[in-house]
Amino acid sequence: MLDRMLRVAAFVIIAASVMGAQRSVAEDNAKIAAGETVYNTYCATCHGDNLVSSGQTFDLRKLPADARPRFENSVLKGKGQMPPWQGVLSSDEIDQLWHYIRDNAHEK
Amino acid sequence: MIRARQGASLAAAMVLAAGFSVTAFAQTADDLKNDHLTPGDVLVYGMGYAGQRFSPLTQITKDNVAKMVPVWAYSITDNRGAEAFPVVKDGVIYTTAHNATMAVDALTGRQVWRANHEYPPETLRVVCCGVVNRGAAIYNGKIIRALLDNQLVALDAKTGKEVWRTKSPAPTSTENGYAMTGAPLVVNGVVIAGVAGAEFSHRGFLEGYDAETGKHLWRHYNIPAKGEPGSETWEGESYLTGGGSSWVTGSYDPELDLVYWGTGNPSPWNPRARAGDNLWTNAIVAIRPKTGERVWVYQTTPADPFDYDGVHTPVIATIPVQGKPRKVVIQANRGGFLYVLDARDGKLLAANAFGKVNWADGVDMATGRPKHNQVYRDALAGKKVEVWPSVSGVTNWQHMSFSPQTGLLYINTLNIGMTYEAPEPPKLSPGKPSGTPSVRRTVVLDDPNVRGYLKAVDPMTGKSKWEAPYKSPNYSSTLVTASNLVFTGTMTGEFQAVDADTGKVLWSFQTPSGIVGQPVTWERNGKQYVTIMSGIGGVYALRSGDPNLVNVPAGASLWTFALFDK
Ligand code: HEC
Repeated sequence: MLDRMLRVAAFVIIAASVMGAQRSVAEDNAKIAAGETVYNTYCATCHGDNLVSSGQTFDLRKLPADARPRFENSVLKGKGQMPPWQGVLSSDEIDQLWHYIRDNAHEK
Repeated sequence: MIRARQGASLAAAMVLAAGFSVTAFAQTADDLKNDHLTPGDVLVYGMGYAGQRFSPLTQITKDNVAKMVPVWAYSITDNRGAEAFPVVKDGVIYTTAHNATMAVDALTGRQVWRANHEYPPETLRVVCCGVVNRGAAIYNGKIIRALLDNQLVALDAKTGKEVWRTKSPAPTSTENGYAMTGAPLVVNGVVIAGVAGAEFSHRGFLEGYDAETGKHLWRHYNIPAKGEPGSETWEGESYLTGGGSSWVTGSYDPELDLVYWGTGNPSPWNPRARAGDNLWTNAIVAIRPKTGERVWVYQTTPADPFDYDGVHTPVIATIPVQGKPRKVVIQANRGGFLYVLDARDGKLLAANAFGKVNWADGVDMATGRPKHNQVYRDALAGKKVEVWPSVSGVTNWQHMSFSPQTGLLYINTLNIGMTYEAPEPPKLSPGKPSGTPSVRRTVVLDDPNVRGYLKAVDPMTGKSKWEAPYKSPNYSSTLVTASNLVFTGTMTGEFQAVDADTGKVLWSFQTPSGIVGQPVTWERNGKQYVTIMSGIGGVYALRSGDPNLVNVPAGASLWTFALFDK
């Protein structure tokens, strides 16, 4: 009995986590898609169509997974001939951009 | 008495000397009109008001060009695209970057002065196609240029000190989508300047400023206001965000007293947000330089879905039309047709494809309108279509040259198509991005190893005498000389001399970066020189993802070449 209860409990936990994972994949995909639109609107002019840069401007696909603080800092404040986006992009849009860039990153 | 007379004659001599030194330096309205006849200097964008980029100089020939060597190189201290037209006067070259204007000794490359220009970093939010400047104008001892943040500034040609500075009046601002990248044109003391911004929902215009004082004289909106003729081609308030830039410098005919200038794409790119022809976007306008009054206008691409800016500089030439010489303006248009119009009244004389075009089956010579086909209609209906050329056009802003000797145009072209789809259109407000995000595109290639051609084209037929393939399209302008040599550069940095009769490369020199600049030639002390900027950048380098350009080094420099003679 106990055994059976345990098995049921295990099943419920597994099912819940699978559903959770699915939900977060769907959420991530939505963010990636939204990020692509934000990118095309504000960034592609300098960083290249579909994130493909010939190397004369910073290649955003180079950003490693742990570079989110640097990313946000540079995007909000600007750097060199990169304009600041504070006041133009919401934190949601920056989050979407990050997801889109990471989804296309050279090293995942 | 004698003394007094001496004094008077001394004073007269001083006045005379002063007068002489003024004329020696001053670039009068007439000097500018004669620029094409005085190869000792290069005073006007396009090497003369006609924009032909033709030089009568013949010291460098097909036979000796192999002996051409660099005389000097000068660092611009910048990593953005080097697109400027160098001006040459009295042994000094004046050139620009987006953030600086420079005077350089023409024979040695030694810097005479450098003036730095700062602009707020937000300015760069509305620069669609490369952080660039295309050059300065010279007039009466002043170097006059536009700044990215919509100001015109005049610098003393001798010292680089600021003489005047004027901000383009409202609604011109970064917030409203405006930026200035083009070189001004000075005509009879009026500085004529255009604006960029059709990718950011602006309303484009041309304007005139007093070259001596910077006073704003007039503005000619490329898009009519409510109630003006043509306003019926815009729905509601859409004219306020309708685009129609003027980012490439025009030309001028002194005899007819007309300035010819091309206008850019409607905003947004997505045509489903617009109704009507959207006059006068993608058009050639002929205006009076003194007042900005429009004398005639011809629209190349009504109701344009494809970003086919009509900005290419209209080149003025006298060519045979039905057996008789006729003064015409010629425009190699992004949409792929080569337009020849009567310079006096804008009557359409020829319009033929000079590259691969599939959105129209030619141009109706009676109405002047493109013969739209199913590709165009499907695009307008929101279907996914394959379109030739791509949004970059059969040619983009890179200037062609025209040789009155061969009667041919030398045009750097693109050989790139696209898939295209216009989804539900965006709602616009001034300053809002309205270009690429409003449609979906992918690149289509015929041949990944031939993305462009340099072509020698007959203006009346659009047919090529020869076509030289290039791996990546050249965004360099061309220059042609009376020795039948064409000068141009590649995106990977080779500066080349090409046989104008065959397209064969006769000489090539590897500059440190890619070339997207404008070659000029001039002479001093009996020697012919050729000057070009190197420095990759601009829209194609930044956006295209062309694998041929990966890691081409950035970095702008100014180069001057001549025959090796020691
Ligand atoms: C006007 C051109 C331009 C636009 C538009 C632009 N960038 Fe940049 N960006 C640059 C340049 C140039 C650099 C290199 C800056 C440097 O290192 O000097 C850069 C660098 C960066 C970097 C790296 C900074 C670092 O930490 O080294 C990030 C991240 C970035 N951009 C993100 C974006 C995003 C996201 C957008 C759109 C919201 C955007 N950029 C729009 C020009 C631009």
